[in-house]
Amino acid sequence: MDDVKIKDQAAHDAAAKVADYEHGWSADIETDFAPKGLTEDTVRFISAKKNEPDWMLDWRLNAFRHWQTMETPDWAKLNVPPIDYQDAYYYAAPKPKPKLGSLDEVDPEILEVYKKLGIPIEEQKVLAGVEGARRVAVDAVFDSVSVATTFREELKRAGVIFLSISEAIREYPDLVKKWLGKVVPMHDNYFAALNCAVFSDGTFVYVPEGVRCPMELSTYFRINAENTGQFERTLIIADKGAYVSYLEGCTAPMRDENQLHAAVVELVTLDDAEIKYSTVQNWYPGNADGLGGIYNFVTKRALCQGKRSKVSWTQVETGSAVTWKYPSCVLNGDDSVGEFYSVAVTNNYQQADTGTKMIHNGKRTRSTIVSKGISAGKSNNTYRGIVRVAPNAEGVRNFTQCDSLLLGSLSGAHTVPYIEVRNPTATVEHEATTSKISDDQLFYAMQRGLDAEEAVALIVNGFAKEVLQQLPMEFAVEAQKLLGISLEGSVG
Amino acid sequence: MLKIENLHATVAAKPILKGLSLTINAGEIHAIMGPNGAGKSTLSYVLGGRPGYEVTDGSATFDGADLLDMEPHQRAAAGLFLGFQYPVEIPGVSNVQFLREALNAQRRGRGEEPLSGGEFLKVAREKAALLKMDMDMLKRSVNVGFSGGEKKRNEMVQMGIIDPKLAILDETDSGLDIDALRTVGDGINTIMRRPGKAVLLITHYQRLLDYVQPDFVHVLAAGRIVKSGGPELARELEEHGYAEIAA
Amino acid sequence: MTTATLPTRRDEAWRYSDIAAVTAAWPLPAPESIIVPAGGHFARAVVQDAGDIQQIELVLGKGAVASLHVLNIGGAFGRIELAVTLNEGADFTLGAAQIGGGEQNLEIVTTITHAEPGATSRQVVRSVLSGTATGTYLGKVAVARDAQQTDSAQDVKAMLLNRSATANAKPELEIYADDVKCAHGCAIGELDAMALYYLQSRGIPPGEAKKLMLQAFVAGVFEGAEDEARLQELALAKLGELV
Repeated sequence: MDDVKIKDQAAHDAAAKVADYEHGWSADIETDFAPKGLTEDTVRFISAKKNEPDWMLDWRLNAFRHWQTMETPDWAKLNVPPIDYQDAYYYAAPKPKPKLGSLDEVDPEILEVYKKLGIPIEEQKVLAGVEGARRVAVDAVFDSVSVATTFREELKRAGVIFLSISEAIREYPDLVKKWLGKVVPMHDNYFAALNCAVFSDGTFVYVPEGVRCPMELSTYFRINAENTGQFERTLIIADKGAYVSYLEGCTAPMRDENQLHAAVVELVTLDDAEIKYSTVQNWYPGNADGLGGIYNFVTKRALCQGKRSKVSWTQVETGSAVTWKYPSCVLNGDDSVGEFYSVAVTNNYQQADTGTKMIHNGKRTRSTIVSKGISAGKSNNTYRGIVRVAPNAEGVRNFTQCDSLLLGSLSGAHTVPYIEVRNPTATVEHEATTSKISDDQLFYAMQRGLDAEEAVALIVNGFAKEVLQQLPMEFAVEAQKLLGISLEGSVG
Repeated sequence: MLKIENLHATVAAKPILKGLSLTINAGEIHAIMGPNGAGKSTLSYVLGGRPGYEVTDGSATFDGADLLDMEPHQRAAAGLFLGFQYPVEIPGVSNVQFLREALNAQRRGRGEEPLSGGEFLKVAREKAALLKMDMDMLKRSVNVGFSGGEKKRNEMVQMGIIDPKLAILDETDSGLDIDALRTVGDGINTIMRRPGKAVLLITHYQRLLDYVQPDFVHVLAAGRIVKSGGPELARELEEHGYAEIAA
Repeated sequence: MTTATLPTRRDEAWRYSDIAAVTAAWPLPAPESIIVPAGGHFARAVVQDAGDIQQIELVLGKGAVASLHVLNIGGAFGRIELAVTLNEGADFTLGAAQIGGGEQNLEIVTTITHAEPGATSRQVVRSVLSGTATGTYLGKVAVARDAQQTDSAQDVKAMLLNRSATANAKPELEIYADDVKCAHGCAIGELDAMALYYLQSRGIPPGEAKKLMLQAFVAGVFEGAEDEARLQELALAKLGELV
């Protein structure tokens, strides 16, 4: 284990030396591109590349035609230059290789990439095959194609299906057909429609009735090829009484051109099922002058269809030049529960407009929203959320807490909550505060021996604690480090 | 250990310290007493390096090094501990986490190995017991929801864990009842009355000095030390008041 | 505040409005403009009881103090829109209530701009809605880049008396200065059942108990108003119609 730890550290250090940005490097792996630009032919190319059935191609084309009639949403507090959708590649995959039996057979360069990414030690152990290690299954999405899936066999014994979405389309067409686009319809919004048309790969999970998934499932997303938009598609279904915890982590290499990322994540819980979805988003945020960085337009939504079902979103958002993301819960099942815990850090010229929607349709549905926004540099950080209670939803409860922390006087912190209540038995509470790190706190921590950056990191972690506590252990440690790293250079 | 010469300092452009000189050697306990507004807290903040407290003249050296040239955390790593009159609340950060990070940052600064979680907890438990503080308090957020007395006791626990060379304790006795005063006094004696260590007590009243016997007592008035003496000076002050002595 | 073209529900400030009523009233007259000079005092009670759209622009000079008390009760569609700009050290207080029944659509829309340092603003808004009425509060507090030491609070509560009534609230903060104290609280719920029972157990009939509690819910916002007695009386009468 120590060996792994040391290697992990060494890889971190090596990566850190390459650039300011810890994950700012680009591995040299042969890529198979779709021609630049976006037409029906691009959609056909992607579908063919993935050996998709006709119904899938039709679905994509349908979405593409609809997308062409749509307009980019402009209501967010974001300043995004127009994106030239014809000036990007929509498909990039590592050159096809024979199907791999284990990670040992994976391109060593890809493995090296994972090392530099600092995949948590627990998972390193799993990858290294250490006996007794806590089990985490990793479905590694490298650029657009899932190149390696571990533990598939063991999951299969438990009845859990954990596949790339392309495989699922071929192997479980009925399940996919039943739910794909049901939580986020293809016409939901501009970026969701785009994703439907050109999504390259992603993850599919099905946990059958009564099954508690025996391990945490994890996917690492990486954008690797220059000028390649990432269009991930994730669909997770927890059948009656099932439970699954899913970890999503992202890092991206340093690039000067802006890169577009438009993922769609759909979650479905049936009666008594629970999904815990945790994200650490660390895409390249652009440099200190606001050059480059990822445009992250993500649609994440959960359908709590079953009674007493539950979905908990936890996100730590530190990366991307632009973040547009509202992981939401449609609480249809009576007594279902939605949670949203978020920490969003923006520094330099980053812009984040993120939050959630809690749509209470079922009786006695409950939701909790805890949002912690930290703005530094010249960045802007917006919480935007909707809590909606339908006329027939008796006994709904919601509690929302939105706190903003400002570092320095050149940043902005905004809170835009929409509260729409149509049932008198609802109890909806919203609180928001804005604060800064006081000079007293800084001096006190420094008097005890911490330098200015350590002191800020400590205080910020305290501010975000309620959210960080929701993360699985190995993620929490990474997230804490990330908050500190993201705020480097914001004081002093 | 600490040598202050002709120190002048301003706060918001207003002169507060006006030529203060003081030398503290290892093994000594000094008390600075004085009326409100004499500059007692300013002295502690200037020595601690608090932003906004500007030194306009004079010098202060700590073990021969220029104290005024160091950042606050460097002063801490060098062995200077400041007990705050109003300890600051840091929501969400537990005492244990705060102190372990602080202690290890100081150790790094001195080129020492960091303490492991287990080693740290052992030290923390020992010091908390010494100051009759519940370990549960150490797990709570730094000073959040603490009473005035608890905050002061927490400062002493921190001092015990950090184990500084020089402790400057600003009005540590304010807000304490008699039992707490005795506990804090015992804590100061146990932790700091040792060879190679020194204490500067800043206080308005005599009462802490009943528990921590100073070797030297100074009277601070209008930004300067106007009188120095032994422990008897504190009693004199208590009897006759500052006006007479400082005059 | 002046909208050049007829708004639609896509316009943030009109997202819950009765657009047919707005169209009928279009074009709107120019907003009433009030300038309170440096150090000046201003107080006004505004009652909307005829189904109007009332727009007021208020600019407070350095150190000026203003308080507005608003009662929004009348007409099919009634809207009171305030745009308040605070210069250095100015102080603004809003106490507002809207009470609607039947098919009424009532809204209070405020934009408080802290343009300079050290200004304070307090907004307390209470809504009571029955029938299929809609009550909306859109309240934006904007703090400009250099408006340090801003102290702003929004306290928003709504009660629904029927399942088909709607309460909307959007207490929004837009902050560009770091040394500020901005807080908002918003709660939507129903009357406390235990308190209602307590009143009844002391011999007060259910309808009276309800009215009493609603009166208490609304009354606080008019304390210290120019015309407090009249506002309380109007509010109480309107509540009487609903319960």
